[in-house]
Amino acid sequence: MANPTTRETILAAIGRGKPDLLPLPETIGFPPNISADNLVDSFMKMVQTNGGQAIRVTSLAEASAFLSEEYDLTLPILSRVPGLEISNFTPQEDLRLLVDLHLVVLQGIVGVAENAAIWLDETAIGIRAMPFITLNLSIVLSEKNLVGNMHEAYRLIDTSTGFGTFIAGPSKTADIEQSLVIGAHGSKTLTVFLLP
Amino acid sequence: MDTASPKHAKAAEAFLRDEENTDWHNETLWFVRSKRDRAAQSLPEWEQLREQASQIKAHTLSKLDDYLIQLEENARQNGIIVHWAANGDEHNQIVLDIMRKHKATKIVKSKSMLTEECHLNPFLIKEGIEVIDTDLGERIVQLRNEPPSHIVLPAIHLKKKHIGDLFHIHLGTEAGATDPQYLTEAARIHLRQKFLLADVAITGVNFAIAETGGFVVCTNEGNADLGAHLAKVHIACMGIEKVIPQAEHLGVFLRLLARSATGQAVTTYSSHFRKPAPGQEMHLVLVDNGRTRQLASPDFRNSLKCIRCGACMNTCPVYRRSGGHSYHTAVAGPIGSILAPNIDMKEYADLPFASTLCGSCTNVCPVKIDIHQQLYKWRQVLGEAGAVESTKKVGMTGMDVLFSHPWLYRFAGRAGRWFMQKFPSLANKPSLNPWAIHRDMPKPPEQSFRDWYAQQNQKKNG
Repeated sequence: MANPTTRETILAAIGRGKPDLLPLPETIGFPPNISADNLVDSFMKMVQTNGGQAIRVTSLAEASAFLSEEYDLTLPILSRVPGLEISNFTPQEDLRLLVDLHLVVLQGIVGVAENAAIWLDETAIGIRAMPFITLNLSIVLSEKNLVGNMHEAYRLIDTSTGFGTFIAGPSKTADIEQSLVIGAHGSKTLTVFLLP
Repeated sequence: MDTASPKHAKAAEAFLRDEENTDWHNETLWFVRSKRDRAAQSLPEWEQLREQASQIKAHTLSKLDDYLIQLEENARQNGIIVHWAANGDEHNQIVLDIMRKHKATKIVKSKSMLTEECHLNPFLIKEGIEVIDTDLGERIVQLRNEPPSHIVLPAIHLKKKHIGDLFHIHLGTEAGATDPQYLTEAARIHLRQKFLLADVAITGVNFAIAETGGFVVCTNEGNADLGAHLAKVHIACMGIEKVIPQAEHLGVFLRLLARSATGQAVTTYSSHFRKPAPGQEMHLVLVDNGRTRQLASPDFRNSLKCIRCGACMNTCPVYRRSGGHSYHTAVAGPIGSILAPNIDMKEYADLPFASTLCGSCTNVCPVKIDIHQQLYKWRQVLGEAGAVESTKKVGMTGMDVLFSHPWLYRFAGRAGRWFMQKFPSLANKPSLNPWAIHRDMPKPPEQSFRDWYAQQNQKKNG
């Protein structure tokens, strides 16, 4: 299906038209503006700004107790966090069945204090559609895995996996007269548990 | 070459007739621009961050062929099928061929200005394919059978009443409903069905990374992800200028993109696609459509740095008061007015004139494109190519004569003052004097500055 002629024409046109070589900046990125002892506060504030809720817990049991209070755990629930055993849903081959998911709980890999974006890759997510199709999403994250800004995050995350995503809050839109509505296509809520 | 008609001015005139709506449009976009300012000011290194982004893009353009080859190689190794398209027609055909191969009839799209640029939707619909835009704003304008009026806020020209009426007809919501929450929920239910039944998903690409052979798609709604992960086939379409060298460069661009676009610290979902999921197929279409021509032009190549945040539109006093549709091109506003004439100089000759050249666009651009200077350059190029409308040309020639003959200039000044004093109503008649449309001429001074100056000199020297 690839059209070799088009490919070569485009590459030749670039070769003729491109400017003289310009260097990349010597260093990429900046040190964070948030000091190490403010990472948690800044992160939690940004989760809220993004429309989610952040809760500091001391154990997974505490997170589990909170979830059982907040959600009806008889509805389809799936947890991929070891030690947080509230799953009652087994994903089938047919991805369309995931539409029933009421709550998905995932293990976050890195959290960014400046914008509350949380990195999740395929190992954390499992089936790619899961964090997007579920009605409610919860992410468990260790405070030790908080960094100041995106530059630091990219030094830690593995971009060689098949799929990974930064999630910063529940799904939202402002396409109707600029009124912010939480819950467009993706999850309607995001609850982040910060563990020590 | 034929001269272009002032399409933008005519369409803007129609938009301006609804004064209340124009005011609202202006204020809404200024609100977004103000949010951008607050977000930018929250980072002390904002200006240096812009500089870094600009330099990364400049470097990439100077090695664009190498990076595209690297992207292609790595993407292939990742199991992505890579295609090249010289123009919109080739791009559309590639998408259709993939659909045919899979006997697919239903497609869900996330927002992609490239597919707008290539007019993919009408092409696929003509071939009998159901095309559903899934970004809420895009779905709204699709149901209205019109193009988006803004690259980030596609339905920014509409009020909730319009959308309530539209959803009542198409989605069966209650008549007269205007609550954004209720209307969004209706769209969610409607589009979930479409996501679940689609054979193929199309997404745009915000950044493609040569080093990893992957690409990043940013949305707030999660529509790109729902589409791409549920369909068996994912086709990602990108302009060739969207490639960046390395993953670490994303740190720079992701900090700039959402802050510049909507004033958010980051988009809700910044998804990094690198390999197809087991059992799925992933395609990447690399599109030129005039970009290599733009690259070859030292005056205009900087416009290829654009990351499509829309900040230049939100700040532009002309865009805010004329509405996106008046630009009659996929990408409206200041940046669109640079890009469009490169695709079709005759059709879009009016756009570089739809600017005050105030420079506000240049000041907010996260990758430091010299937007207003390029608009000024386009005016010169278009003037030389004879693509400027005749009234403008006559006016310019007249001014050339006037300013190169001081005696004529002095005479014209005197004659003008006399005429405006004697016949003010004629001077203010819009049909005779286009300047007087929407404004009155100032009161003419009693004497010219030149006469006054001479008088002062006389007084001083006795």
